Amino acid sequence: MGVTVLQPYPLPEGKSGAHIMDHLGKRLLSLGASHAGQFLVDCETFISTPQHGTPARAVHVLHNSEYPASTFSIIDNGTGKQVAIVADNIFDLLMLKMTSIFTSKKQTKIESRGARFEYGDFVIKLGSVTMMEHFKGILIEIEYRPCVTLSYCWEMIREMLQGFLGISVAKEYPTYFTTQTIMNAMGQQQLHAKQNDIYEPMDTVKQYLEHFTNYRKHVQLHGSLASSAASISSVMLPSTVGMGRP
Amino acid sequence: MREKKDKEATDSLSLALKNRFLPNLEYLLQGSILDTAVEHLMHRLKGLCDNVDTSPETFHDLEVCMSLRQPNSPQPLLLLRVRRALGRDAPFQLRYLGQPEVDMRRPTLVRSCMDCACTNGILDFLSEMGFRLEFEYIAKGYMFRKGRMKITVSKLIKIVPGKQQDMANEPISQSYIVELSVVAPTGQENVGEEMRVFAEQLKPLVQLEKIDYKRLTNIP
Amino acid sequence: MSNSVNISVETTCENQIREIAYDGTELYQAPPTLSESLAKCAARIDFSKTSLDDLKKEEKSAAAATEDDKDANQFQESLWPWDAVRNKLKDAYTEICVLSDVISIAKDKRYLVLDPLLEDGDDTKPIVQVYSRKKAISQAAQVLLSGAERLRNAHSEQRSRNVSDFHIELLRLRQNWRLKKVSNGAIIGDLSYRTAGSKFGMSGTFEVTKAEEALDDDGAGNSANASSGASNSSTNNGMQLKASSALRVIVPAELQGVAYIKVITQKDQEDLCTAQVNLMGHGPNITAQVGVWQKTLEFAQNVLFCKELFAQLAREAIQLQAPIPHVVIGNQIRATLLPNIQLIISLCHSTSFDSSQPAPINDHDHVLEHSLHQLLREVHFKNSHHPFPHPASAPLGPSKKRMIAGPTAADREALLDMTKTQTILEQIIAQAQHIFMRKRTQYVLDTLARDVKDPQIVSHWNAMNSPTMSCVKINIVTHGYDAIGRTSLVIHVKERSLKCICRDGRVMRLSYEPQELRDLILCQINSHQISCLVSLARYMAWTVLSNSNHLGIGKVEPLGNASSCLLGSPNSDRMIAVQIRCDPQIDVKVYIARSPRPDFFPSPLVPEKFWENLGGNFKEVRFDKIEGKSFLNKMEFLMASLTSNTA
Repeated sequence: MGVTVLQPYPLPEGKSGAHIMDHLGKRLLSLGASHAGQFLVDCETFISTPQHGTPARAVHVLHNSEYPASTFSIIDNGTGKQVAIVADNIFDLLMLKMTSIFTSKKQTKIESRGARFEYGDFVIKLGSVTMMEHFKGILIEIEYRPCVTLSYCWEMIREMLQGFLGISVAKEYPTYFTTQTIMNAMGQQQLHAKQNDIYEPMDTVKQYLEHFTNYRKHVQLHGSLASSAASISSVMLPSTVGMGRP
Repeated sequence: MREKKDKEATDSLSLALKNRFLPNLEYLLQGSILDTAVEHLMHRLKGLCDNVDTSPETFHDLEVCMSLRQPNSPQPLLLLRVRRALGRDAPFQLRYLGQPEVDMRRPTLVRSCMDCACTNGILDFLSEMGFRLEFEYIAKGYMFRKGRMKITVSKLIKIVPGKQQDMANEPISQSYIVELSVVAPTGQENVGEEMRVFAEQLKPLVQLEKIDYKRLTNIP
Repeated sequence: MSNSVNISVETTCENQIREIAYDGTELYQAPPTLSESLAKCAARIDFSKTSLDDLKKEEKSAAAATEDDKDANQFQESLWPWDAVRNKLKDAYTEICVLSDVISIAKDKRYLVLDPLLEDGDDTKPIVQVYSRKKAISQAAQVLLSGAERLRNAHSEQRSRNVSDFHIELLRLRQNWRLKKVSNGAIIGDLSYRTAGSKFGMSGTFEVTKAEEALDDDGAGNSANASSGASNSSTNNGMQLKASSALRVIVPAELQGVAYIKVITQKDQEDLCTAQVNLMGHGPNITAQVGVWQKTLEFAQNVLFCKELFAQLAREAIQLQAPIPHVVIGNQIRATLLPNIQLIISLCHSTSFDSSQPAPINDHDHVLEHSLHQLLREVHFKNSHHPFPHPASAPLGPSKKRMIAGPTAADREALLDMTKTQTILEQIIAQAQHIFMRKRTQYVLDTLARDVKDPQIVSHWNAMNSPTMSCVKINIVTHGYDAIGRTSLVIHVKERSLKCICRDGRVMRLSYEPQELRDLILCQINSHQISCLVSLARYMAWTVLSNSNHLGIGKVEPLGNASSCLLGSPNSDRMIAVQIRCDPQIDVKVYIARSPRPDFFPSPLVPEKFWENLGGNFKEVRFDKIEGKSFLNKMEFLMASLTSNTA
């Protein structure tokens, strides 16, 4: 287990996603990386039927093929509080028991899948994000395995990313690590920088959720698929709450 | 191997259900025994169960039952039990128990059951989902196994609200609850018979029975 | 009654003492008045016996009188003195009334007829009664006597403990073995390891019977063959049957005798290491307390265990996909450990003990013996000991690791690892390989330490190691120059490979070939010598002009090469060049050069002396002729002499 950073890759004008993926894969292979299977991260969201007085709650259920025995779930209560759990796969079946209150929004089922590469201590996954079979963009996942704290290895990860992606990556830590809100002992929310924390598999899943949420919002904002790769800056926005609210 | 593992997790789960590997039925017999006689029962279980050459396994768990209710219906929509081992670093267990089957011919109570281990955020998670506390208690006792049968002899302890100390909690009754259970995939009919035979062997000490929960709920 | 003895009974003339006062005076009961004595006498009348003929016999009434004494006491307690007499008279009256009624009916002859009774002569003569009594008494006496005899026997037996008792033996047997009584009264025992977690199919039942009185009877009994087999095997096991047991166990034929598993590692048909697994050991060490059966059963159990172990190994040998397939022939399994080195595991089972049986090999490898034993026990343990879930509602079955895999988000590798298990054969092969690698490494290090005298090679083996990994630390030092330099490296000896970690952090992986290790150590010696020389030169104020650990001359070795260094004297007029090569053995060459030469003659080509400073010709020193115990010692002398020359 190491530190994973998720990096969206801007889609150049006039190029198809499959073409870019192919291109990046070839670049990695020529660097000396080896192809090591496929990967899949999927996310399904259940929304509660809103009742008077309480905002709609969203339960995100995610799976990561890297952790095949686990189901990750994050609840967003609509007021900014998030609770995350990791459970056995059977949690999926338990969610089905709650369909009368939490209904699945099938049209927002989103996933990132693609090839998985190993390059020394790095594991690189080139994922193409699709929602309802529609291509949304490219997410690069890079994991540096020997280390569990981002601050110690961010420079190396950044250099690696810049090296094979050919784009410049900001020197600052990714926004996920700098803008996490946590509850303090008094029950107040406060900002907490995560780059010095020990990295957990849940952090990977949360990063995916953050990006998936942005992709989904994009659809709602623009209503078109063409502009999905237009601006990275909007993609890099911190996670916002209450997604999928009607 | 890897390609197989990469399959969508839910796919493999539904596959497991279809092929009946997933144990999702609980066969249960229950009974109770007075504190004064529990020593004898323990001796008999030591003789009957697997590898009790060492002292029997103890457990000390806290069970919290949470319910999800529609705003204007008295019946809870869904009951979930969260159980955690006290004084031990183990994942929390989330448990769903279905309605017992009405088939009277079966020797044991049969109900659908789902066990799911989770991280300790589950209570918070459930309350954010809208679940409310129904009841909670501490179960403390001994566990035995015989093949795939699990036998628990547990003391139920009431949690006195407001008092956190262990000492403040008092036992619910002067007896132990004895449960004999097997969680098995559907279609294994011989489980009940196996359990009935085992329960026979405990007979004069404890009467393990199929408890009719519907009858219990009618008692006010 | 006819045998009764006449006794004359008289009443005491004294009055009865009623009370004794504290001062000793006795208070007498007043004698009964006439009416009282009449009532008493009346109460004594036995109305049942007042038939005419009985009354004639005086002695009889006298005997009755003694009984009546007791009755009298009872009558005294009754409420009214004449009560009993009245009742008896009343009964008599009733009887008379009934009799008169019967007679009057009988006279009528309509309802009742009186027939004369058949004379049932009481022909029991007194002599017959005497005989019958005598016989009955003698029978009772016999029962008592035989009981007493048995008690006495049991008592003396317990005291002497010479003769064993079946039930006491059975009790002892029951304490150590599983027994049960079956329907036909026979006692069946189980010596299999099934309750300890074994899944071996072979049955391990034995039968318990009572021994015959004499051992010669064995041949005649119904269980003759089996029991004699058992007793034979027990005799063969070195038992003395003089201490005969009242209990006999009958072990099935396939479990009789002695079995052991022989493990041999062979190199080119030559034994390298032999282990003999004989779990119980067979020798004359017999504990006196337990009966013959204890040994018989232990041997049988050992046979069963060995058979299970061998069956398991044979099954695994066939299933395992080894690069060089394992061979199972008869009772032998052959597996290749390393090229030309084989592991041979064979099951030896002998039912008769011949003197031709080879004696246990002295070169006994306790480690392998223990391992095989332990590995199967471990399998048994795992079969029967499953972890309990916590909290208690969690499902039974999955391992502890699998139970936490979900919530702790175990990755694919970790989950795959959980599915992998090593078979017993794989483990024993790994252990044998490791033992072999360890011996080989020890051998290489020891011969090098013996052959190479100059820097000393000291190896420290870790006392604590695992069955498949051990660790050795090697220090290379020069005697007398320990402070100047020390080269140390650590070697991890694994199953088929070595891992060397040098002080500078370099990690090298070596194969099982001993030559690689040898080369590595030689190269380490090389660099040790050069690095020590460099430090020594600094101490002596010589300057190090150059030094190289890898000259790249000679055979190119991946681990190291010839090394060299070039030293300059304090006032830079002399140079020493040293080259150490290590193939095939350590070879030191030392050259010296002097510039400018002390005797300079200008020539047309070299007109001035300063040209001589460019360096001169190197001349080889006959290093073996230089005084000194070691390379560094010699170099020290050489440097010292060259320095003093310039002074």
